[in-house]
Amino acid sequence: MTVRDIIKRFTFIEIFQGMALTLRKMFSRAVTIQYPKERRPIAPGFRGQHALAKNPDGKAKCVSCGLCATICPSQCIYVRRKEDGQENYEVDVLRCIFCGFCVEACPYGAIVLTENYEYSGYTKEEIYLTRSKLLANWDKHMAGKKGEEYFRKFWRPMSGDFGTPPAQSGFKGKKE
Amino acid sequence: MEPVEKIFDTRELNVNMGPQHPATHGVLRLVLDIDGETIVKVTPYVGYLHRGIEKLGESMSYFQALPLTDRMDYVSAMSNNIGYCVAVEKLYGIEVPERAKFIRTIAGEMSRIANHLLWLATHALDIGAMTVFLYCFREREWILDLYEMICGARLTVTYPRVGGVRNDVQQEFLESLWKFTDEFPSRILEYETLIDQNRIWLLRTKGIGVISAEEAVNWGMTGPTLRGSGVPYDIRKFMPYDAYDKVDFEVPIGTVGDTYDRYRCRMLEMRQSNNIIRQCIEKLPAGPVMADAPKFTMQPKDKMMPITHPTKQHAFFIKEKACKGCGMCLRACPAKAIFGEKKKPHAIKQDMCLGCATCYVTCKFKALVIVPAGKGLSDEKLAELAEAPVPEEITKASEYLVRQFEFVKKGPKVPEGEIYVATEVPKGELGFYFVSDGSAKPYRMRVRAPSFVHAGCLPRLCAGHLVADVIANIGTIDIVLGECDR
Repeated sequence: MTVRDIIKRFTFIEIFQGMALTLRKMFSRAVTIQYPKERRPIAPGFRGQHALAKNPDGKAKCVSCGLCATICPSQCIYVRRKEDGQENYEVDVLRCIFCGFCVEACPYGAIVLTENYEYSGYTKEEIYLTRSKLLANWDKHMAGKKGEEYFRKFWRPMSGDFGTPPAQSGFKGKKE
Repeated sequence: MEPVEKIFDTRELNVNMGPQHPATHGVLRLVLDIDGETIVKVTPYVGYLHRGIEKLGESMSYFQALPLTDRMDYVSAMSNNIGYCVAVEKLYGIEVPERAKFIRTIAGEMSRIANHLLWLATHALDIGAMTVFLYCFREREWILDLYEMICGARLTVTYPRVGGVRNDVQQEFLESLWKFTDEFPSRILEYETLIDQNRIWLLRTKGIGVISAEEAVNWGMTGPTLRGSGVPYDIRKFMPYDAYDKVDFEVPIGTVGDTYDRYRCRMLEMRQSNNIIRQCIEKLPAGPVMADAPKFTMQPKDKMMPITHPTKQHAFFIKEKACKGCGMCLRACPAKAIFGEKKKPHAIKQDMCLGCATCYVTCKFKALVIVPAGKGLSDEKLAELAEAPVPEEITKASEYLVRQFEFVKKGPKVPEGEIYVATEVPKGELGFYFVSDGSAKPYRMRVRAPSFVHAGCLPRLCAGHLVADVIANIGTIDIVLGECDR
């Protein structure tokens, strides 16, 4: 044991260094947020609650081809055609794992995952999504520009992904 | 004088630790045989979190089984995804574009940092350092936010795909990640200020769970747990996958092989990961992010647009002459809009047709035709229009559409054979072993999980130590029971 070690041992220097750090942090800005009052910004393309996309004329884009139901790893999408000709499109949200495969598989751009993540309920029926609820979700969270933006950015893969698009993000150099 | 044991009549005590114990990192049950405070024997019991991921994988196509790997090691889901994709790509025999490789490397190293941060946080918390926990989670949160920027999810990312990645990275993502890498080394210094020289930390980690290099290899350890003993084995160096052969990094190793060495190894590894990310951002080439292997990937959506765009009011029509009456389309139609008897030409009831193109895709005899802008027309008119040549735009789009339907409904056929591909995940060597019988689903999927092997090393590490050191040992091998039990 060198003299230095002995000094270290009796002066508790490393303990004080650590405590000085925590003391400094006392005066820095808090990193936590008070959730219901403040909300953290959600990145675009967040995989949240489902919605069925609508055309500009207000009709649903979905044609019930069932590709989403086939690719779904948790088998939570039910596409049926009722006897009276009424289409039935249901998403069992409690089973869903939000992988986004349904969005990828759909050739019609009919299903999207919105940025809504606050939809808790007391019963299963409240959370269970039927066709009408899914269409209402579109109006609520994705209508207008937002929906277009979503398809432009996150409806993948596009042919640009298989080739080199003209503009592609890259390293722009260090910022001063 | 009689031995102490005789005087006090001591005997070995059999104690359960877990499965519900906050410091066991999941649902790990340890049965301890203790003599006073000293461990005589530790028997780990695993399987409380068994969800049958390997068996589930056999009933899903290779594409579908990807989210299962998220749920194995949920602390570093991205690395698991990448490991799975690398393995399946090798089985398919497809090459990933350069840009996708770099993006994957970035994502994988982010996952390594996120994993080591959580490991340090909980390991320090177990040993008794509360502040480190909070500081580590501050940075981990930052990484999770960055994950959200690239793929829309924070924990179960499902970002890489077989053949590339889900979507290209955005400029703002690269910029925030660069900012993170600028900041991160100073944050590591903060953790080290708190615990690196702290006398309590040193007492709790130095000389605990010592394992020699030879023994560590024999017990099957991998990753930082092995490197702490001084074995410079890293799959990123020895069998480079993705872009690891294009970046410079060192493999930090320990000397003694105790808990403190493994801690040092992981701290240095975080710095190396930070370096790798910076190099990858600088070198990130332009180019495609999905492999050009149409059979094995989803089809480009815009290519299908001439048929699938909502404003295109196409009608589907069955040519009477060509229809053999096989009934394939009849069974496939989700709207039940196709009628007809067996071996006689079928017909579509146009008012019931939804226009999903399922019949078009299933028909083997090319009896089905797409009539452009034919919705709402009568059957006679459609029959007349159906004889006209189909526009080239639609023929091309239909090729993509057929392939998309086939990819989703059947999955690509895989060459027969077996394959084992190992990748370096933060915890060690994660291997995927596939046996393929030539169908679209794996005949057998087996995962070599580092956590499982490391949990098996616990008896060796804990023997002779005190009960409190069991916690330090569980922390130091960095296990996640989701991966261990699968």
